[in-house]
Amino acid sequence: MDFGHYLIAGVMPYVAVAFFVLGLGYKIVYWFKAPMHLHWELFPYPHTMAEQLKEMITEVFTLHSLYRFNRKHWLPSLMMHWGFYLLVGWLVVLLLGFSFAAYVGTTGGVLVLAGSFSLFLLRLLDAEVRKISAPVEYINLIFVFLLASSGLFSGFLGDIQLVRSYFLSLLTFKPDASIAADYLTPLLLFELFLIYIPFTRMAHFAAKFFTYHKIKWGELH
Amino acid sequence: MPAVVARKVFDDYRVLSDEALRPHEPRVEKFLQAMRKSLQQKENWTFWLPYTLSLDTCMKCGTCAEVCPVYQATGRKEIYHPVYRTDMLRKIYKRYFTLPGKLFPWLVGAEDLTEEKLNALAENVYRCTICRRCSYVCPVAIDNGVIVREARKIFDAIGIAPDELKKKGTRLQLQAGNATGMPAAAFLDMVEFLEDEIEETRGYRIKIPVDKEGAEFLLMHNAGDYLAFAETVMGAAEVMHAAGVDWTLNSPNTGINDAVNYGVFYSDVEFSAVIKAHVETARKLGIKKLVVGECGHAFEALKYLILRLIPPEERPFEVISILELEDQWIREGRIKVDPQKNPEPVTFHDSCKLGRLGGMFEEPRRILKACCPDFREMTPNREMSLCCGGGSGFAIMEKGGFLKFRMETYGRLKAEQLKATGAKVVACACSNCKAQFREIINYHKLPMRYAGVSELLANALVR
Repeated sequence: MDFGHYLIAGVMPYVAVAFFVLGLGYKIVYWFKAPMHLHWELFPYPHTMAEQLKEMITEVFTLHSLYRFNRKHWLPSLMMHWGFYLLVGWLVVLLLGFSFAAYVGTTGGVLVLAGSFSLFLLRLLDAEVRKISAPVEYINLIFVFLLASSGLFSGFLGDIQLVRSYFLSLLTFKPDASIAADYLTPLLLFELFLIYIPFTRMAHFAAKFFTYHKIKWGELH
Repeated sequence: MPAVVARKVFDDYRVLSDEALRPHEPRVEKFLQAMRKSLQQKENWTFWLPYTLSLDTCMKCGTCAEVCPVYQATGRKEIYHPVYRTDMLRKIYKRYFTLPGKLFPWLVGAEDLTEEKLNALAENVYRCTICRRCSYVCPVAIDNGVIVREARKIFDAIGIAPDELKKKGTRLQLQAGNATGMPAAAFLDMVEFLEDEIEETRGYRIKIPVDKEGAEFLLMHNAGDYLAFAETVMGAAEVMHAAGVDWTLNSPNTGINDAVNYGVFYSDVEFSAVIKAHVETARKLGIKKLVVGECGHAFEALKYLILRLIPPEERPFEVISILELEDQWIREGRIKVDPQKNPEPVTFHDSCKLGRLGGMFEEPRRILKACCPDFREMTPNREMSLCCGGGSGFAIMEKGGFLKFRMETYGRLKAEQLKATGAKVVACACSNCKAQFREIINYHKLPMRYAGVSELLANALVR
């Protein structure tokens, strides 16, 4: 096992998770500590915790706003987002040892692949969206696309036995880098992705809490 | 003598004259300094979070453009795309205030600021009424409106603001008590004239109290209403009288007698100076409730924006809209109405500031349904109401061909909406909307009139 291999499979996972957690955590704390701005809510807004939860969940899982007002972006975005949700789910069911994890992971990978590809095409071919896009917008989508392809085509998302033991070795702080030998590319991409997220707008899943709860929605009744 | 046409800096219109914009002076450095301040939490606590999140989190999906009246009405012209506008500021933000933009500008769409770009931005932030319809539909809930307003704030900080909003707006209001510059004597004459008018049209005389100390209600209108929409002022007075409550208007002798606060549109410094003057006036008069007349942004300012700016103990009075009172009094049976007195079909326009920004959707509808037998909804309405194009100061801005912009963009969509209702009267409860409707009806030759909600209510009153 060479040094690069050990770095990617034995060290980087910790570095990446640390970056992700600390980077995002720093941002979230920073936003939480921001001085309370003047009232700037929009009406109507959900007034109880239950109503807010319902609206947030509806938005997260159906991308309702896009469905209502920007239909052409809806399906591609929905695919990519559901792909990510499934991949998060994959991680959970994989660690819990469910055998259907392979299906969850593969479906997630396919959805992210299809979603990022169609969003890329849409951004490239639709003149209106192209005009408001900077290169970084395309790069982000390519990154996501490569991440999903390598996860799928290397077999990483389907190889539940091996991936599970590898993840468990990481979780118990006894990283067994040797068993991940075949999956260095998807691993590296995933690590870079985790490091990258806090610095980009892809952290919008966290920013959204603030834009909705603290800005768009007024105080609870 | 033909008017001197100012040089084109963005599109065919010029809201800012050369005197205001000073295109021959270097301003980039000053702009960047002011922008740096705007990005600091302490310097700009009033809007820091919505502002910076909106700069950082736009996903460039274009959903905002699908609901933007200007973009839609201009046949989807690129320069009027909401993100094109906010990107003008975002590119500067990235280039000068973010690391990736300093290192790899081309990659993240960061651009150097030039004097020309500054000119174009200064104009373009006055092509959006900050109606925040786009913000309502944004999947990430970011707000193009706040970015536009922050850009206006930066410009004001380096001395670039439309005269209508500053010199003849907030500055005049703070000095004269109202943005119309009407002195106390003229105001008192005006009130007497309105009493005569009411007597002439209704056949009975009512006393309109002015500057009464300790009254339960201080009714403060947009002072422009006395000159342009006196029917609303008279209507409100008749309703107050009919309800038999202890109320008063106030003259410039007592401080500020104009509910407007143009600072809402372009400057927190001006906004806070005006609202403090409002509070001082109300305290001096010792009134219990400050009733905001039919003025959208004044309601937003006094009802909501004030809350975290002035501590509750420093404003010992309640703020309510006249619509809330009227609605309440009809439901309580305190005032009686006969809807047959308003037989024409009536529709209602949701002012952005009262509706989407103020939550006042049902009150005006209940009032109108009680006083007009043929009430018709416009589509879309309520939170998806289309801005009429009078918002954020536009209603009082006409120079540089701007009236045409108002009429051909927002105005055209609104005219089509109005026509589709078949209504003969469009009711609204906001002075800026009324000023815009006056022009829309005229420009697009619509067979209808506009009216204040209080005006229609007063007309239906049963004595």
